[in-house]
Amino acid sequence: MSFVSNLLLASVRMAVPLLLIALGELYSERAGMVNIGLEGLAAIGSLVGFLTCFISGSTWVGILCGALVGIAVNMIYAFATVTLCANHTVYGMAINILAPALASFIYRIFFGSGSDLSQITLMKTINIPILKDIPIIGPLLFSQTPMVYLAFLLVILTGFFFTKTQAGLNYRAVGENPKAAATLGINVIRTKYLACVICGALSGIGGAYLTTCYSNTYTEGNISGRGFIALAAVIFGRWSGGGILAACLFFGFCDALQIRLQVASVGIPYQFFQMIPYVATVIALTVIGSGKSGPKAAGKPYRKEER
Amino acid sequence: MSELLRIENISKRFGSFYANKNINLTVEEGEIHTLLGENGAGKSTLMNILVGLYQPTDGKIFLKGEEVHLHSPNDAVSKGIGMVHQHFMLVDAMTVFENIILGDTNAKEIVIDREKRRAQIQELAQRYGFRIDLDKYITEISVGEQQRVEILKALYRGAQLLILDEPTAALTDIEVEGLYDVMHKLVEEGKSIIFISHKMREVMHVSDRITILRAGEAVATVKKDEVSAQELAAMMIGRDLAASSFEKVISGGSAVAELDHVSYNRNSKHYGLNDISMKIRSGEIVGIAGVDGNGQTQLAQVLTGVIAPEEGTISLGDSKILVYDPNNFILRRTAHVPEDRNLQGLVGDMSIADNLVLRRVETDKFSSLGGAFLKKGAILSYAKEMVEKYDIRSRSASQTVRSLSGGNQQKVILAREMEAEPDLLVVAHPTRGLDIGATRFIRQQMIDARDRGVGILLISADFDEVLELSDRILVLFEGQIMGEFPGENPPVDEISLAMTGR
Repeated sequence: MSFVSNLLLASVRMAVPLLLIALGELYSERAGMVNIGLEGLAAIGSLVGFLTCFISGSTWVGILCGALVGIAVNMIYAFATVTLCANHTVYGMAINILAPALASFIYRIFFGSGSDLSQITLMKTINIPILKDIPIIGPLLFSQTPMVYLAFLLVILTGFFFTKTQAGLNYRAVGENPKAAATLGINVIRTKYLACVICGALSGIGGAYLTTCYSNTYTEGNISGRGFIALAAVIFGRWSGGGILAACLFFGFCDALQIRLQVASVGIPYQFFQMIPYVATVIALTVIGSGKSGPKAAGKPYRKEER
Repeated sequence: MSELLRIENISKRFGSFYANKNINLTVEEGEIHTLLGENGAGKSTLMNILVGLYQPTDGKIFLKGEEVHLHSPNDAVSKGIGMVHQHFMLVDAMTVFENIILGDTNAKEIVIDREKRRAQIQELAQRYGFRIDLDKYITEISVGEQQRVEILKALYRGAQLLILDEPTAALTDIEVEGLYDVMHKLVEEGKSIIFISHKMREVMHVSDRITILRAGEAVATVKKDEVSAQELAAMMIGRDLAASSFEKVISGGSAVAELDHVSYNRNSKHYGLNDISMKIRSGEIVGIAGVDGNGQTQLAQVLTGVIAPEEGTISLGDSKILVYDPNNFILRRTAHVPEDRNLQGLVGDMSIADNLVLRRVETDKFSSLGGAFLKKGAILSYAKEMVEKYDIRSRSASQTVRSLSGGNQQKVILAREMEAEPDLLVVAHPTRGLDIGATRFIRQQMIDARDRGVGILLISADFDEVLELSDRILVLFEGQIMGEFPGENPPVDEISLAMTGR
């Protein structure tokens, strides 16, 4: 029983960073911006989150600074792809190469290259009275850090925004048919930049979550492909908030499972278990990858006075 | 009637090229004012200025006597100018309702009040006699209905002046009639319409006044009642048109292609063929008349090896086809001018020269070792020759075909296919969207090919074109041949009736 409930608890914790990053990507793609630089954005967010938390002693400062640096770095991508109409994949990849290296560089400036890791105090869990006492679901959903609650709240708000509001409808039109959106007076360029701000912020927060709410230290490569798994989660979740939540919980579960299997089993090389989340991603994308294919104008440059 | 719109000396320059030059134009209230001109005459540019998408290089715009500056589509919308673009500006992944309310700036509420806005739209739809299911996705409705959604979109935003950019281009004849009704209704309600077209017949049918654009300049504005179609055409292309009737022949030649009880996807009314038997002889043009989407696409595809018939056989010359593969058909001297020149006919980002030799690149003339090494010089000089011969208007033969106008793109395809010296030429919608000059050129090329002994299958949604070119006419309806008619003095009424399935 405790194995199962611990597994589920860990699944939720592992799912949250994926969820934050994937929601960022959702906002990005809904405006036609296919940003594959999530891994890099999360990496720099993770380092800066850790660093500012280490200095200030506040995890909230860490989260906030993670968001800001995510935005700042993503503006490189935004300027290149929106204003200069450059290729999305190339610049997303550039971010993936630049940002993690920058993160390591900054880390060494501050902490040197020694092997003893500096540590911070993790964000505290907040128990929601009464609800937390519900068996299984209680500790799972109502005895978590505020970031978990925020992430779930964001899923609901996102779904509401895209399906119920005028602004959400306009926003979606930019990713589907920017020319049509422009003829209706929707500011395409501004929407795309806004998308990059949201994506940068959420990816940065997703990274900062790993250092300030999950492990209390920064290690190089700590994102370990979560940016790409989040990218897959957006496709797996069919570009909807609820779908992405389900996808992230699934991937989070795989992640939690592999750690437990590593510990529990003997004789099998641990690398096999480490593969589980990634293999699951590949299988999930193969199974669900075809069919509905996301915003129509995703990844295409938008030029205003094109003839 | 009072004046609604006045345009004074509008110019628009792209680089050193004037798309519009010193254009003057007025539109009265309750008027259908046609803007007539060939492709590239500057009609669309002028309209994009009016809707705030382009900024004019020079000139003034007045609405009801007041000067306005249209910096963005929002400005134009708020001043009551609405446009239905030639390529619809609809979001496929959204419903009709969502498309109509998209970008609505009047709505102050954050959450969409579906009930209220539905009622508003329903009321508008009723007033103009539209029947549209608001909950259908754009992909689920016909092109004609999509156009109505576009019109409704403009009306919903309070448009006083509606600009319809080549609205009939994508419609069937029946849908065109429906559009005329809508236009008359709009004018009755006091709206004004700018109607953009290059089709003489519809212009003469629907306009009050006509302004003719040529090479970016307004040549003249005339009242419809005071001008003939012939005069309009002359003003539009700047030269007189010769009478455009071709001599019809009855071919005694041998069959270059024969379909024997061919069926494909037989249960589909719109995308299948049902027991088709026909012959195409050398030296004749067989025209396929019919409303678009009655199996024409599939007919062209089985005759070029793109798809294989599920039943029946096809023979080319005197040999039966066993392998359905485009290359096999090409080797048996079949040429194909496909229905979508950008999708199937050309590689847009490749040069004119490369596109011209696409199907023959492995011949000794253009490469050595069967395609291993290209003879660039030979290809380029051949391309120059073709550019000359087929009047492909371009800066150079190395220009990408994407940057050519539709008419010149079609000439590239025609040059490539004709120069292969085919026995059978399958041509689908050869002049769709082309201006008069290019249309005449392409039709003449087809007649010349026929006279050289090529057997031609002509598929066209343009009934006039089928009548004008065909030596024999077959009517296709829901995948079946409804009858065969002579091309000389064709019984137009009977053919039209057959097109509706009777």
